[in-house]
Amino acid sequence: MVFLSLTQLVRSRGPDEFWRKRRIFKMAAHYRNRPRNVYSLAVRIVHRALAYATKGRKLKKLDMAALWTTRVEAGCQQYGVPLEAFKEGLARSDIMLNKKMLSDLAIWEPRSFEALVKISRERAAVEGLPDIKQRSAFNQVYGLSNLKLD
Amino acid sequence: MSNSHLFLKSGFPRAPLQNGLGRYVCQLQRITLKFCKNNGSSRGMRDFIENHLVDFAKENPGIVVYVKPRRHRTPVLVGEYLNGEREWLNCRNNTKDEISKWIELLKTQNGCSSSLRLRKMWHTDVPSVQGPWTPFLLRSPDANSIEYPNIDASKPLDIPKTATDKLIELFKKQKLEAGDGAEDLLKQKRAE
Repeated sequence: MVFLSLTQLVRSRGPDEFWRKRRIFKMAAHYRNRPRNVYSLAVRIVHRALAYATKGRKLKKLDMAALWTTRVEAGCQQYGVPLEAFKEGLARSDIMLNKKMLSDLAIWEPRSFEALVKISRERAAVEGLPDIKQRSAFNQVYGLSNLKLD
Repeated sequence: MSNSHLFLKSGFPRAPLQNGLGRYVCQLQRITLKFCKNNGSSRGMRDFIENHLVDFAKENPGIVVYVKPRRHRTPVLVGEYLNGEREWLNCRNNTKDEISKWIELLKTQNGCSSSLRLRKMWHTDVPSVQGPWTPFLLRSPDANSIEYPNIDASKPLDIPKTATDKLIELFKKQKLEAGDGAEDLLKQKRAE
């Protein structure tokens, strides 16, 4: 006699079920309460977490760029040069430094950053870019002693 | 996913005990080469053992080399380090050049590469050459001796020229340009 109906009562989805679920549980190890131990809950929350991670990779780049921009702006505003004029002046002087490097210089090498601001300010004044203020901590701009900024 | 929940430790690339500052101590204590004598996946490993292993052992007297022939098993490189960590590398179907590169990696590592998540790929003891920015960098120490309330300190930093100032300037410029001729004209007119 062969018992065939017993196999139909088994609810296992296959021999690898344990490892398939383990893949999810490993990512849910730090969750609270039932989602840590119950597969049907864990799988939903883990998928959500992975989707957030995917979106977060782009957001991280945007956040870092915004942070660097804030820092560079703070640095060049000390010298009375707005960010737009600073960047335009650097670009026209063929100085291709990205936001990250400019922010690192502004924090760790303030004298180099000041030199960059001076170059940019001179160029901006010569080319007539707007909004450059007379006020600054170091108002001596190299090569601009005769130029009047009205 | 944030990294705060991970059970993996995070850190920065460091040399243990300033290794290399004085003498360099190779952090790899022993290396084990497991391979099958017959199976094709161990061919590269066997080639490496035949051609390069003895030279490697002679060049690195501080590393203990174990060779384990194990039947019907994939070729494996296991490196054990001075800090007790163990790195297991599967070398299935690797060529002998790839294996020598992996061995070179194991030799130059400090510990298991997967035990630490590197937060930055660089480390420096001197992040700043010119000195980092401080709030007092661009402020003169004269600001300490100012007695408040102070009129100069209360003015705005940049006051644009008013229209009146510009007119006065223009007038003075005109006067200079006209020079003595204008004064004579004035005298004549007054006499009239």
